[in-house]
Amino acid sequence: MERTFIARNPSILWFLLGLGLFTLVVTILSEATGNGAISTSFVKTLGKTLMLCLVAIAMDVVWGYCGILSLGHFAFFGIGGYAVGMWLMYARTKEIVVENLSNAVIPATEAEINGAIGVQIFGVVGSSEFPWIWAFADSLFLQLLAVVLVPGLLALVFGWLAFRSRVTGVYLSILTQAMTLALSLYLFQNDSGLRGNNGLSGLQNIPGIGDFNQAQISIGFFWASAFTLGAGYFLFAWVLDGKMGSVIKAIRDDESRVRFLGYHVESYKLFVFTLTAMVAGIAGALYYPQAGIINPAEIAPIASIYLAVWVAIGGRGRLYGAVLGAAFVSLLSSWFTGGGAPDINLGFYIIQWTDWWLVLLGLSFVIVTLFFPCGIGSLFDKLVRRQQ
Amino acid sequence: MIRLIFAVLLGMIAPSVVMAQDLQSLLQTHQEEVAKPGRRSVGVVLDDLVASGLTEAASFLENWQAREVYVRDEDGLFFYLNDDETQLIDITSGAPSGLADVGLTQVRPNGGVRRAIGTALVQFQLSDPDINRRRGAIEAIARDMQASQLEPLVASIEGEADPGLKVVKERLAGLMRASFGETNEIRIAAIEGMAGDLSVDVRAVLNQILATKRVVATELPDDQNIATVLEPGTDLPMEDAYDILVAADLAKPRTTQNQIKAALTGNIVEGRVGGMAIASLDTFEARAMAYEMLAAAGLVEPLVGDDEVQDAIAVHVIYDVYTEQDTEITEAAAASLDALQTRIAVHQTADLFLDGLSLASIYFLAAIGLAITFGVMGVINMAHGEFIMMGAYTGFVVQQFIPNYTVSIIVALPVAFAITFGAGVLMERTVIRRLYHRPLETLLATFGISIVLQQLAKNIFGTQARPLTSPAWLDGALVFNDIVAISYIRIAIFVLALIFLCLILFILKRTRLGLEVRAVTQNSRMAASMGINPNRINMLTFGLGSGIAGIAGVAIGLYAKVTSEMGADYIVQSFMTVVVGGVGNVWGTLAGAGMIGGLQKVIEWLNPSNTLAAQTYMILFIILFIQFRPKGIVALKGRAAGD
Amino acid sequence: MSTLLEMSGVSVSFDGFKAINNLSFQISEPELRAVIGPNGAGKTTFMDIVTGKTRPDTGQIIFGEKNISLIGMSESDISCAGIGRKFQKPTVFEAQFVRDNLGMALRNPRSPFDVLFFRGSADNTLRIEEIASQVGLTEQLSRTSGELSHGQKQWLEIGMLLAQDPRLLLVDEPAAGMTPAEREKTTDILVEAAKTRSVVVVEHDMEFVRRLDCKVTVLNEGSVLAEGTLDHVTQIPEVIDVYLGR
Repeated sequence: MERTFIARNPSILWFLLGLGLFTLVVTILSEATGNGAISTSFVKTLGKTLMLCLVAIAMDVVWGYCGILSLGHFAFFGIGGYAVGMWLMYARTKEIVVENLSNAVIPATEAEINGAIGVQIFGVVGSSEFPWIWAFADSLFLQLLAVVLVPGLLALVFGWLAFRSRVTGVYLSILTQAMTLALSLYLFQNDSGLRGNNGLSGLQNIPGIGDFNQAQISIGFFWASAFTLGAGYFLFAWVLDGKMGSVIKAIRDDESRVRFLGYHVESYKLFVFTLTAMVAGIAGALYYPQAGIINPAEIAPIASIYLAVWVAIGGRGRLYGAVLGAAFVSLLSSWFTGGGAPDINLGFYIIQWTDWWLVLLGLSFVIVTLFFPCGIGSLFDKLVRRQQ
Repeated sequence: MIRLIFAVLLGMIAPSVVMAQDLQSLLQTHQEEVAKPGRRSVGVVLDDLVASGLTEAASFLENWQAREVYVRDEDGLFFYLNDDETQLIDITSGAPSGLADVGLTQVRPNGGVRRAIGTALVQFQLSDPDINRRRGAIEAIARDMQASQLEPLVASIEGEADPGLKVVKERLAGLMRASFGETNEIRIAAIEGMAGDLSVDVRAVLNQILATKRVVATELPDDQNIATVLEPGTDLPMEDAYDILVAADLAKPRTTQNQIKAALTGNIVEGRVGGMAIASLDTFEARAMAYEMLAAAGLVEPLVGDDEVQDAIAVHVIYDVYTEQDTEITEAAAASLDALQTRIAVHQTADLFLDGLSLASIYFLAAIGLAITFGVMGVINMAHGEFIMMGAYTGFVVQQFIPNYTVSIIVALPVAFAITFGAGVLMERTVIRRLYHRPLETLLATFGISIVLQQLAKNIFGTQARPLTSPAWLDGALVFNDIVAISYIRIAIFVLALIFLCLILFILKRTRLGLEVRAVTQNSRMAASMGINPNRINMLTFGLGSGIAGIAGVAIGLYAKVTSEMGADYIVQSFMTVVVGGVGNVWGTLAGAGMIGGLQKVIEWLNPSNTLAAQTYMILFIILFIQFRPKGIVALKGRAAGD
Repeated sequence: MSTLLEMSGVSVSFDGFKAINNLSFQISEPELRAVIGPNGAGKTTFMDIVTGKTRPDTGQIIFGEKNISLIGMSESDISCAGIGRKFQKPTVFEAQFVRDNLGMALRNPRSPFDVLFFRGSADNTLRIEEIASQVGLTEQLSRTSGELSHGQKQWLEIGMLLAQDPRLLLVDEPAAGMTPAEREKTTDILVEAAKTRSVVVVEHDMEFVRRLDCKVTVLNEGSVLAEGTLDHVTQIPEVIDVYLGR
């Protein structure tokens, strides 16, 4: 009766197949490798959306499966972005500075180069000194390590403190929200060492890859995003399969009963919280180079709440639900706010969607919570069941 | 002592007063200096005028300063002109004295002279019959104290009719004596007399006496009043110490990296500098080596090496010296300042306490509604902040219709309560009721509502901040002294918070509704079987909580900006207040608000430059606090609290 | 027969109310014991204390031959030490299959990483099927446990307890809401289980206790009022006073 992991979870195959096809189609239609039916900026939007799907999956695992409504996972996402952004900005600025200084009669010293980079990067916050957080900014490897380790460590410490004292339910949500707020307020400061509210910019320029153009870079990132999303989906499906999934879902449904079964609930929660935080960090690290800029406003608590909104609309407790929700809502959102949707003239008032989209989103969110607690994903379930 | 000083001063002034002389003849003795006054020469005239004690002198000085004095060319006498400039007016009697049809020259004192005249004028104004002029004169002196003003000030104290102003004059005289007293005894007495005074000007005077100047010399002089001797390397960095030597021309300036680079660039010979290949000059050490080569060849000034710097610093002493020469006085001033610091610290603590109290009352107002709904219904209302915003906008709209600020605020409070009460009841009936026992989903649904309300407010009122003007009687502050002060608005908010505390306690403890609410809080099912309708109670509770948020909104709008996002600024703090205080308890919320408000102020005080950091640290503290008291300050105990 | 659990001088109070007052209690291994007492006698609190949910104010609890003190241990550690508990209301994980419910309870390493890499084994499947047949749920293994009847849920929970393979089983009102036939079966399962381990049954129903045919401890106001056979304790006047309400 023991079937293989994939056989037990056919949806994984369907998902990976769909994702592969989608990647192929986008590649064929892109400017860099195809006929150019999809603009480079839209390829970037799609690539970013894939990463939003990944962080939504992480959110779904921590909330939909484990019952922890974390309002901090977008903060982990942002930290991932900052970590990779530091290297991108440093290395790119270094390239430019070295090129500028190469014309000088006397070759520049290390300190002079660093000083010039410092002025370039921190001039906007009235400084030229490298803060200690930038100590490893010149090493891509270490910064990539930070993408995973910093969110992981933060989640580990925070989760350990919170779960240990049995903070649950709405208390925990509020506490994670407070953590997110603290982080974003900290980053807003000019002396946080991360350029205050200017954030990190110019991240779309990838240093050290010669003369690839943005169209090629965007398709490269798109592939990387698709691959990462596939891998992430697979990872979580594997984690949730079998006994681990049982225990995690059991914790969601009745935490104290699981305790009496002899499971150390706090360790499990900590495991899920930390793992999802790390994946969120990775998603952020791929998202922000495609976005080109990251600033503290991205990390504000509201972003994490939107993340919960996506997952809720997509359908909790199903990995593909999170993907659907994130893709659907974020694409719809950029269509509405980007002026893509036509205004509605009521005669006495013109509904401009840039102003009214949030009202619509908020209302539909309330309606989904009230009447469709299983979200869009449940439609999918019904379809599959009917076929069977 | 003071009386003795008076006697001495009076003695000095008295002889001049006796010399009765009329103004015109007095001026004629200095005709040249009055007609063509110069910054240096005018002093004599002014001294004599002041010494004369003539009452007309004051108005002459005013006219002189205003360039309204004329010289009759034929005899050099001084006159004023009447309004239409047709008549000459006698400067002594003020009576017309002939037509202005003769040669006249306007006296045009320059800026410096006019300031000097102004100073002298102040001395007259000190005894002016008009109290406002006297007050103005005192303020003018306090703004810019000068030794010459001390005597006239002291002289005017005795004749001062207004007791309040007399105190002010005496105080000012004390301050001035500390700086300009005749003898050290007088100055020290004045300095010691100021020890208990917390005003800013006292500290300014003391600090001025204690002002220091950084000096460098080869050895310490023994005839100067030295404040501190600085040890290079510990009290100040070596670099700075050397810079001081350079600034004092006691050492050669160090060659900067840029100068080295420029020198190297200027001495390139066939791709090499000082015998070194240009490409190798990419470290500071290599550049220094090349530069040394150039210096050895005599092409550039030699480098100032580290040893040289060390040596130069070693043979010099750097010290701070008081500008005030007398040790006794600086010691007395330092002692007074020390004593003041302690008192200042006490008063700052008091001020901090008041600040914390007012912030706590704001948090209390913002959070108590939330605490009620959370405690009674176990429902987190993320739209609570938007109810605060609704209240504030209600206040703004009411002010558009009722221009009288006092009336509009009185109207706005109940209207805001009614509107947010209605919104709360509506929300409870349509959304919350369907989500009981699903707290996380309630959180999300109410969040959806908060997005809608925020965006609606943005669509209706725009993104710019709207003013909610407080009535005039709430302007200003209750000032205890220069350190402790609290604005009336904050007092009003404190009173409002107090009223609501009492009101809510009254409702919960003394009314039928309160009894039912408590019953539903403790055991909803049991309450239902006792004939209480929990649905009705929940609805009323939610309405009440929302209504209080509306009132809090009006109060907050009075001192903060009314924007569509203002709710979001308070929501997290409100949650923190509830969580820290302990759910389901009014006293808990009070304790939570007190703790968070106080804490935030203390952190801001420790790190005043950065309120963002203060908030970060506060949130971190709260996260840690929850570790030790997960159920808040006032926790429910027993089996009921377990689940 | 050696002593498995020994409580001595345990007291706990909630807001001044003494729920457990200087309680001393012993049970051997193997043994079947029924605990009876009127409402508010402290039966549930007694179980809360043993399983670590409530921390006593004073007193000692010693478990096993290594004399481990249970005070201060977490619920999960106590459970791993070999104490299983069945709640009054059946609490099974309704969203999951019966098989998964039993699988979670099976005695296996409990740390997250052990569980993460645990992918089942033939031995495991065998154990699950064995227990399922023991509690009569073989047919239901592949149904979600939410679909089970009330009695079946009770059995599933007992089955989960057995799967945990504890040395001490605390069972709170196992027969509540069962038909007479189901009660009989439950009795059989408990008596069978008590042959190899210690079982403490808290029960209201005298008939059920009589059928268990074991030593009875009567609790009242947080301490032991009487101990002995059911016939013996029901003769004691105090017990009749407080329990039978006469």
